[in-house]
Amino acid sequence: MSDIAVRVDNISKKYTIGNTSSGSLKETIAGLFSKTQQGKTEEFWALEDISFDVKRGEAIGIVGKNGAGKSTLLKVLSRITEPTTGRIEIDGRISSLLEVGTGFHQELTGRENVFLNGTILGMKRAEVRAKFDEIVEFSGIGKFLDTPVKRYSSGMKVRLAFAVAAHLEPEILIIDEVLAVGDAEFQKKCLGKMEDVTGQGRTVLFVSHNMSAVKQLCSKGILLRQGRIVDKGGINKVIDTYLSSDQQENKGGIVHFEPDASKNFQVLKAQLVDDRSIQRYTFECEEEVTLALQCKLTDKIPGLYGYLTVKDKSDNLLIESDTFDYLPNLLESLPTGISNIHIKIPSRTLAPGQYYIYLNFSSQQNTAGFHVDSPGNILSFDVIDTYTMRGNNRRSFLGTTLKWETVDAEITL
Amino acid sequence: MSKVVIDANKNWYSLDIKELFGYKDLFYTLAYRDFKVKYAQTFLGLIWAFIQPALTLLVFGMLFNKGLQVDTGDVPYLLFASCGLAAWTYFSSVMGEAGNSIIGAQNMVQKIYFPRLVIPLSKALVGLIDFGVTLLIIFALMIAYQYPPSPNIVFFPFFILAAMLSALGVGVWLSALTIRYRDFQQIVPFLIRFGMFVTPVAYPAEVVVNRLPEWATLLYYMNPIAGVIEGFRWSLLGGNPPNVYSYISFIVVILLFVSSLFYFKKVERTIADIV
Repeated sequence: MSDIAVRVDNISKKYTIGNTSSGSLKETIAGLFSKTQQGKTEEFWALEDISFDVKRGEAIGIVGKNGAGKSTLLKVLSRITEPTTGRIEIDGRISSLLEVGTGFHQELTGRENVFLNGTILGMKRAEVRAKFDEIVEFSGIGKFLDTPVKRYSSGMKVRLAFAVAAHLEPEILIIDEVLAVGDAEFQKKCLGKMEDVTGQGRTVLFVSHNMSAVKQLCSKGILLRQGRIVDKGGINKVIDTYLSSDQQENKGGIVHFEPDASKNFQVLKAQLVDDRSIQRYTFECEEEVTLALQCKLTDKIPGLYGYLTVKDKSDNLLIESDTFDYLPNLLESLPTGISNIHIKIPSRTLAPGQYYIYLNFSSQQNTAGFHVDSPGNILSFDVIDTYTMRGNNRRSFLGTTLKWETVDAEITL
Repeated sequence: MSKVVIDANKNWYSLDIKELFGYKDLFYTLAYRDFKVKYAQTFLGLIWAFIQPALTLLVFGMLFNKGLQVDTGDVPYLLFASCGLAAWTYFSSVMGEAGNSIIGAQNMVQKIYFPRLVIPLSKALVGLIDFGVTLLIIFALMIAYQYPPSPNIVFFPFFILAAMLSALGVGVWLSALTIRYRDFQQIVPFLIRFGMFVTPVAYPAEVVVNRLPEWATLLYYMNPIAGVIEGFRWSLLGGNPPNVYSYISFIVVILLFVSSLFYFKKVERTIADIV
């Protein structure tokens, strides 16, 4: 038994976009007689030259933006679709979980669905039977075991489905973003169960947008961008690369947008400045961070509001704010023309670290759609602390410093 | 230790029967699901499997026996027709179900791997339940007419197997073709309706064959279920053994079945991309 569980060698996957999918006879027959190319087909490489090895017992996180090829890679690895070129060797019993509850049938009871789903996932009936009580216990739906699944709430369905999946005992486990479903409590339970799995020396390939889950589960990572591997190695390094290069379009403290005549409201320029209005990328904890926006408004939009978040490298949401925080909503009374808007993050709010700003403008009452202007993840900045002893070693989410002082008065109860 | 190699450059497909056997539990579970779902929430449940052939036989009896006065020799007409009906109903339902099976399992095939052949093949098992009920009708008729089964009945299992292969041969072909060309979804109901007229279900083959030229007879027996039905009657009711032409039908069955497996294997690799 070699210590390589999965060896991926130069995998590429081509999709043809256009009129090829499940066609009709007419097209094929017409195609036989026409000499010209059917046209309108376009090749698209979802994966290009992907090579990597996964050692036995290793947990690898696959990260990347939507459309980077993560799901295609998992589909190829789990044999749902074949690669166009390349070779994969998988050594060991493999199970993939691209969805919870695959094959669940509404008309069947919970009990029957456990067997159905279990055998679809590759278990023998005897194996399902042996683990049946454990599965039911884990799902917590004991009472409803003989009720058709169509009477279940969506939460119950997910719990039952996940309970089956969690009791698979493959040597290699492939998991897509399946944890995105279910309530927070159950997600935690699932993450715990997954950790048990990786703890038992199983090989795991995991795709998620939840960076803290990836970090928690995986020791190594692969970063995909446009179907190619751009970084691999330790999970922390890979996530850092991902967040600093892929998560936001523009690294640094300033970004310009092409004016779009079809938008009645648009951010033209966004930058981070200090209190002397100088554009910066790195700020001291002691400083205010000001997000300076230059916006155009050509026509009033009723109900227009702005939304902003600040997240750290691990995708933790630290600040969430919108223009309704201070009433009246600034954007509803904005004069047409060019305006400059400043949003200040008070000093000593953020701890030392790297942060990302996300920005969006929408309106419930907008006739042309909810989203008015979506700049998205536009800016990142660093916060450092050279003012305090603890300085950059402060591990807290907040940069707040607390005053320790003696007082004369004793507190009397 | 199982080892899987995925190689884009391989151009030869093995049927991988061994892997298929590894999934036999899934095969049974899918069959159970279809059976359960078919009769779930119906008031009469499995009784439907009895009502449908019984009513069809009644209509056959009035139409072909009383009306057209089809000659079935020493064999009571209803008994004669019930054997044909059992085979035809099994054939047409399994063929139709298998043909649509991959399309019906779209969600599954896009999310998980297993040998896709399990899906259409499992339909052959589901059909056996209705088939069994029809057999009960046949035996009930035998008792009613005091017509003992022929000693040829020892060959009956062989003809059941032939019926399965025949239904699957067509069904697997259709399922693979339907993935690529949805047109076949229109063709299947037509095949089922049209097929019964060109198959000796309600009348003996001789009625037609004696009046047809040689080439048309050959064509008639290209029908993969024609030979099986003759075989059913011979093994259950006795009489003349299946004629020489029936062997054409059996050869067609085997060719269809084997080629369907290979064609399916060829299409299988792209199912998730185009389904």
